[in-house]
Amino acid sequence: MLPFLKNNRVSGIEPYLATVLIFAFAIPLVCAGQYLLSGAAVALGALSFFHTRRILANVKRIAEERVVSGIAEERIITDDRACRSQIFSSVDALSAGIAHEINNPLGIIAQETQWIGHLMETPPLQGLKETEELRDSLREIFRQVDRCKETVHKLLSLAHQVEPVLQFVDVNELIRSMIGVADRQASEKRITIVRCLETGLPVVASDPPLLRQVLLNLLLNATQAIEQQGVITVSTRSLGGEFVEIMVQDTGCGIPREHLTRIFTPFFSTKPEGKGTGLGLAISRGIIERLGGSVEVSSDPGKSTTFVVKVPVNNRPANSTAGRE
Amino acid sequence: MEKFRVLIVDDEGEFVETIVKRLRDRGLEAEGALSGQDALALLDEREFDVCVLDYRMPGMDGIETLRHMKKKKPRMEVIMLTGHGSVESGIQGLQLGAYNYVMKPAPLKDLLHQMEQAYERKLIEEERLRELDTE
Repeated sequence: MLPFLKNNRVSGIEPYLATVLIFAFAIPLVCAGQYLLSGAAVALGALSFFHTRRILANVKRIAEERVVSGIAEERIITDDRACRSQIFSSVDALSAGIAHEINNPLGIIAQETQWIGHLMETPPLQGLKETEELRDSLREIFRQVDRCKETVHKLLSLAHQVEPVLQFVDVNELIRSMIGVADRQASEKRITIVRCLETGLPVVASDPPLLRQVLLNLLLNATQAIEQQGVITVSTRSLGGEFVEIMVQDTGCGIPREHLTRIFTPFFSTKPEGKGTGLGLAISRGIIERLGGSVEVSSDPGKSTTFVVKVPVNNRPANSTAGRE
Repeated sequence: MEKFRVLIVDDEGEFVETIVKRLRDRGLEAEGALSGQDALALLDEREFDVCVLDYRMPGMDGIETLRHMKKKKPRMEVIMLTGHGSVESGIQGLQLGAYNYVMKPAPLKDLLHQMEQAYERKLIEEERLRELDTE
């Protein structure tokens, strides 16, 4: 029998305030901006507006409390968390609506497009000289439908908080295998990925697929930050045996100071239109917070960017031996 | 090692045949499928604990197959195998619920270790669900 982890709850999990503010505006945008000017969009928009007002009221309340009573920072953080928790449940409720109201019409659009494509291969449309142009248009519709699907899916994974499943993880090993995945794309741009992995790193109790997702997101960002030729350094170290620190540093374009605070905000992206949804880092931060850790960024514009992720070693049940090989 | 049920999905028949044989040899209950469609049909008939799924297949590709698999059998853990290694597709697979995204060729020993880890995760989740039921 394989060992189980009993205490696999991780606390302090709420997503942050900004997520929902963006959500509130993004949902009608996604609906209206890309094909879906339907009644559902209006309904969602109204719902979002309602939530926005509630959220703004909470933000205002917290801000007032800070100014008026000057209470201790800790208390504010608690309030902030409570607020975020409240927001989270709203988002979660909304996400089911998004999935249904956007994915279903998208499915119908894709189906109808396929049908049009089929009709175009039969007379009298088959031989028309405009047919090729129509095919191009249909292909573009497919591409954009896929893009919408992808965005909705990412939004859902941002909102949908699946409880982490804790297993023992050899962080160095996990990093090596994810670098293996990123290596080919990096070398195409003449980027070298350097590993500085501390030996004897403690095994951490964490969620391996979630950690892999974060690692790949950071490696993707680092690769994209370097235009041609550069170095990505991935290093690990133990912080007093309580946390493991993972650092991903690139010699890329850097992040301007004014963007640094917004880098984890959903939909914030400096990449060209269609090249990324601006959700990768937002999702990554959500994941790391759910795992009881933190992620920070620093940058020297024009020279380098460094992401530092800290994950706790704890949550380790005393009776399990998995991963200690 | 505990016996568990593995489904191998890859369009390369020889690869599937060999790995199924080797896994059975190690006492696992292994089955193979040569396409996404075949794999999904098999899932209607039988239960599996872990699936090893090729990313690039003609017809229904690995990502599409994964999407359907997670709808049909959300508890089955899926390890994606890839020959070309794209970071974006790795993220996509993990986001869709894959346990891991492994580069080909993966030595059987490593793959087996991944399968065991994936199976352990499935057991943890099943126990958690049981606990929730009894609460």
